[in-house]
Amino acid sequence: MGNLIWHEYSRFVAITATIYGIWAGFWGLFYRKFFWDFVGGTLRDPGGIQPARSAAPFITVIVKIPLLQIMAMVLGLFILALEWPLPLMRKLPIYRNLIVRIVLLLFQAFIMILFYQGTNAAIWSLIAVGCYTRAVARGETMAEAKGNRGKEGQA
Amino acid sequence: MGESWFHREFLTVRRLIFNFLFYGSHLGLFAYGWYSQETNQKLAGLNSLKWSVWSSRGAGLVLAYDGGLILLPMLRNIIRIIRPRLTWLFPADENIWFHRQVAYSMAFWAMVHTTAHYVNFINVEETQIRKQIALQIHYTQAGGITGHFMLLIMVIMYSTAHQKIRKQCFEAFWYTHHLAFFFMIGLYTHATGCFVRDSTNPAYSRVFPFYTTDHCLGYESWRFIIWPGIIYFGERVWREIRARRATRLSKVLVHPSGAMELRIIKPSLKYTPGQWLFIQIPELSRFQWHPFTITSAPEDPYVSVHIRQVGDWTESLGERLGVGPSVVKSMTQDAMKGKEKGLSRGDFVEIDTSVSTITLPAVRIDGPYGAPAEDVFNAEVAMLVGAGIGVTPFASILKHIWYRQKRGTLGSLRRVEFFWICRDAPSFGWFQSLLQEVEAAQADPNFLRINIYLTQKIGEDMLWNIAVNDAGAEYDPLTLLRTRTLFGRPDWNSIYPRMRGAIEGGSYLPGSKSQLKTKVATYFCGPPVIAKALKEATVKYTTSNVTFTFAKEHF
Repeated sequence: MGNLIWHEYSRFVAITATIYGIWAGFWGLFYRKFFWDFVGGTLRDPGGIQPARSAAPFITVIVKIPLLQIMAMVLGLFILALEWPLPLMRKLPIYRNLIVRIVLLLFQAFIMILFYQGTNAAIWSLIAVGCYTRAVARGETMAEAKGNRGKEGQA
Repeated sequence: MGESWFHREFLTVRRLIFNFLFYGSHLGLFAYGWYSQETNQKLAGLNSLKWSVWSSRGAGLVLAYDGGLILLPMLRNIIRIIRPRLTWLFPADENIWFHRQVAYSMAFWAMVHTTAHYVNFINVEETQIRKQIALQIHYTQAGGITGHFMLLIMVIMYSTAHQKIRKQCFEAFWYTHHLAFFFMIGLYTHATGCFVRDSTNPAYSRVFPFYTTDHCLGYESWRFIIWPGIIYFGERVWREIRARRATRLSKVLVHPSGAMELRIIKPSLKYTPGQWLFIQIPELSRFQWHPFTITSAPEDPYVSVHIRQVGDWTESLGERLGVGPSVVKSMTQDAMKGKEKGLSRGDFVEIDTSVSTITLPAVRIDGPYGAPAEDVFNAEVAMLVGAGIGVTPFASILKHIWYRQKRGTLGSLRRVEFFWICRDAPSFGWFQSLLQEVEAAQADPNFLRINIYLTQKIGEDMLWNIAVNDAGAEYDPLTLLRTRTLFGRPDWNSIYPRMRGAIEGGSYLPGSKSQLKTKVATYFCGPPVIAKALKEATVKYTTSNVTFTFAKEHF
């Protein structure tokens, strides 16, 4: 595929997935639902699905206290700060590390898949993980910012 | 960078009108979609979901509108035909810009629509106004499936369309953008699940569109927005048919600077100077089409393009023709060093199929497509400004002007000022040879003036070369033209007023009466920074006697 630089492409997917994730986490605060509650759950009219007893731990951290949603938002904001990037993140030693991104995105996908609004963010995060993995496999590295050359188009 | 966002969006009349119509129609449709849902008595059941269903309906209608608009700027052949008649109304050359605006708007409204539906479905499940759970609506019904699928396609299409990715790997953009086909199918069938209904169960039927409109009360927007899709599809089919018409690669010339000139014969192709076309070489890639500017004039018996080996496709074309990057590299280096190595910069090598074992591959071309420089003959003075690789369309225009000059059919065109701003002139050797021909053919020394600006930093060797060879020589040592090369960037704020002064004083266009309005048309091709500076200058120095217009070409 041409000269595609995979980690640069993956960055765009990761940013999209993460913004979706933050937005999903925000709405998850108000409409709390465990995504997998249909497994063994019973449908009540009205009231919707009543999750199985085995799902109780998830219900605690998603419906009773929206802990996962808050975690998703915090993690999302961190990934966004790393990927966009926020200027101070450039100084961090992990800034040029692709593996760190893969781990963070996997973690994001794991959180997102657990609550109702997060499904797409989880899938897209996994796509970004796949592209980053491919970048690592091809031995790509993030280049240092080039001296003081200035931005393109500002000649 | 210069003017503020507010200034650009609101204080420019054209942009203000566009913003008003574009965003106004979006908000208007959203409001209508919201209102007609909220007040529809038949949909009282659905309306118990309140604001979330109202906003999802409103945003859905807006998305349908955007889905109808997004293909319009891509109807390349239709735009090419209507463009000359409609330039006064809207800038048809900005079609990609418009396509992007629709796409941005689509992303925003998709966010509104999806968010609202996530609220809708969770509420349907909790209140059980329909005996379903949220995930059934999301993942087993037409609306949910196509919706999630379209979102995924949008992520892939938008991310690969970023200009950084497009530059790195055009194929990634080109192939993934064809997911638009599935996106459009998803869009047209999004409502077939009959989510908006007054009955308990969806009212499906056996005849197209497989649901009855007695109970499925959607906006039926697909009936309107499917037409651009059908026309676009038809246009793609037509482009394929046209590309299959007899085409023959007759000659390949390799210029010492590394540019390959393909001379193609296709009698069915009619074009005007400054236009461009897509080229496909099935042997290299069966599906890829690559855009190139036409460098021949319509009077030439062939269509030519100049290709430099800069990407993987162009490099493999070079390999195929036996002039791969290594060969070209040594040729380029020779050319940079000057003409000591036998060939002078203007000369070229023809790939001779009768002697060598190299055969010429089959080519297909799709085009031509528009460019603003077609209008060059309507102005009295044409200022042609090319920067870097952006000089290519002017090759065709200058040749065409030269042909028309010979025939004496120049229209209202009296003078041509050609500006060429480039970093290193030697890498455009083929263009220099063309300029030499045109310059040498000038009978009237005042008709065409060539101004070359070299912006590269000049090393000591080059400085001495110029100093030794320039003084008293007939030709410029760098470009081998009679015109002297200027160093540094052109200062438009002195060029335009000087020209205006000369026109008003009557010295520039002898014989033209000063009370007449003179039109000076600027045509530019190159990077946006220069485009902006030029545009500002054309606006700033326009007076009642002298109008400066500005148009630019996109790649």
